[in-house]
Amino acid sequence: MNAQDYTAPASVSRVQTAGLVVGGVALLAAIFGAVSSPEKFYQSYLFSYMLVLGLTLGSLGLLMLQHLTGGHWGIIIRRPLEAASRNIWLVLLMFVPIVLGMKSLYRAWLDPEKLKAEPLSAYQQGYLTSAGFLGRAVLYFAIWGALVWLFNSWSREQDQNREDRALRRRLKLLAGPGIILYVLAMTFAAIDWVMSLSPHWASTIYGFIFVAGQAITAMSFMIIVVAALSNYEPYAGIIQERHLHDLGKLLFAFNMLWAYFDFSQLLIIWSGNQPEEISFYRTRLYGGWGVVAVIVLIFSFALPFLVLLSRDIKRSASLISKVAIWMILMRLVDLFWMTRPEFSSSALPTWLDIVVPIALIGLWVGFFALNLKQPPLLPLGDPKLAEAIAHHEH
Amino acid sequence: MKEHPSQLFGVMGEFATPEQILSAAKQAREAGYKHIAAYTPFPVEGLAHAIGFRWTAVPLLTLIGGLGGGLTGFGLQYWVAAITYPMNIGGRPLNSWPAFIPVTFELTVLGASIFAVVGMLALNKLPQPYHPVFNVERFAHASTDRFFLCIEARDPKFNLAETSKFLQSVAAEHISEVKDEG
Repeated sequence: MNAQDYTAPASVSRVQTAGLVVGGVALLAAIFGAVSSPEKFYQSYLFSYMLVLGLTLGSLGLLMLQHLTGGHWGIIIRRPLEAASRNIWLVLLMFVPIVLGMKSLYRAWLDPEKLKAEPLSAYQQGYLTSAGFLGRAVLYFAIWGALVWLFNSWSREQDQNREDRALRRRLKLLAGPGIILYVLAMTFAAIDWVMSLSPHWASTIYGFIFVAGQAITAMSFMIIVVAALSNYEPYAGIIQERHLHDLGKLLFAFNMLWAYFDFSQLLIIWSGNQPEEISFYRTRLYGGWGVVAVIVLIFSFALPFLVLLSRDIKRSASLISKVAIWMILMRLVDLFWMTRPEFSSSALPTWLDIVVPIALIGLWVGFFALNLKQPPLLPLGDPKLAEAIAHHEH
Repeated sequence: MKEHPSQLFGVMGEFATPEQILSAAKQAREAGYKHIAAYTPFPVEGLAHAIGFRWTAVPLLTLIGGLGGGLTGFGLQYWVAAITYPMNIGGRPLNSWPAFIPVTFELTVLGASIFAVVGMLALNKLPQPYHPVFNVERFAHASTDRFFLCIEARDPKFNLAETSKFLQSVAAEHISEVKDEG
């Protein structure tokens, strides 16, 4: 097995160009929106940002999960996962507008007028400050960035030193603590960036809802990538139905996990029936937002649940990738439902809610394709690679 | 002494590796055999497909069990809380469906699992204390290190000499007749 046998096909370059062009054009429109109606722009930006953050960090999480557990599914997508995680610098760059829009987004704890009307507790006053917000963001990105850097550089090193057992052990050893660090940092990031939109409401499972959502986002994206690459060399002879089947099963499991977390939050708050807790669902389960909630329940959970039960769908590249695209779109709707009710009682999306996600996802996919072209498409140093791509099924 | 009359059950060949039995099973299907059974010490992926095992009622049974369990779980709670023993608990509606979901979910899993396991056993007729293949002495290796392919006598294409020759042609070792002495 040689590195040159596993270079990305030419179509990846086309995806790169398409992503960057579509993303760039949408970005120009978004910038126009940012100038003409900054408030609306930042609101659209926040939920779109959380999606591309999920694509990146979900991939990092799955990458660590694969080092921790092994499994043929993970070896097949290891390079695409690494490529997606290397977009962390892009996601860091994309965080800048959130910092610029802080005053507009986080009125509840930055606007003195609002604070006077609804004061924060002493502890919250110490935590929810702009300096704290920025300092913690630096810390989160430092943690994620360090993990991305270590897993990527060690993986490249493994391509060269295929028999290096110490290196294999190091990758395994870091994966466990790495997942804990990622989930912890993501929990705090979800609190800082999204939950603090309504500082008087709190939920301890909130971070896990985001982590499970990120796993769905990243797994869906990986299914799309693998299904698309399976039409071209070098993946054409490698990707088998059993690989897609495994990825589909994991997507099903992550979807169940997300629904479980999301429902746990609802059940506990609903049972407790405390005024300060139910505010979250009061705004989200009635009127227009109630319609969106039902859409999320049916189309993000129930329908994919039933569709993904089918073995034939999971084993068909064209069908499973359609389900995966659908899942990513529904993640966007769910993030919209999580964030927007804090700003508006209208559940109708604005034109910026269409343009900003296209801009961010387009640019993200463009740079992902660029990253994908660098190393060989398969982890040549993985000791189980031959077994993972073998055709005799056993 | 008169010998106990025994019937021919099939012809069985032995293989050393999963790859060999997989390829032999595929060739047997291609040669037109329909009643093929494979016995291996561990699950060999793709083998079920290769011997022509295309459809099983277990997923359907599991779905029915799951739906039945779920409906029972929800129905029981609804019947108790909203119909037979309605109680006002903190002003919540009698049909407090969010609170019913955990039990509904558990019973869905329970119903699906029971139907899957019992349905599987009913359909594959296990446990079976006696099976003709046990009469072949070397068959003991099926639980340790050998892979067995048996072409059964009820197959329309079965012919003792022809089928044995076929197994030879796909590189089976220790080809033996399987007698049913039951």
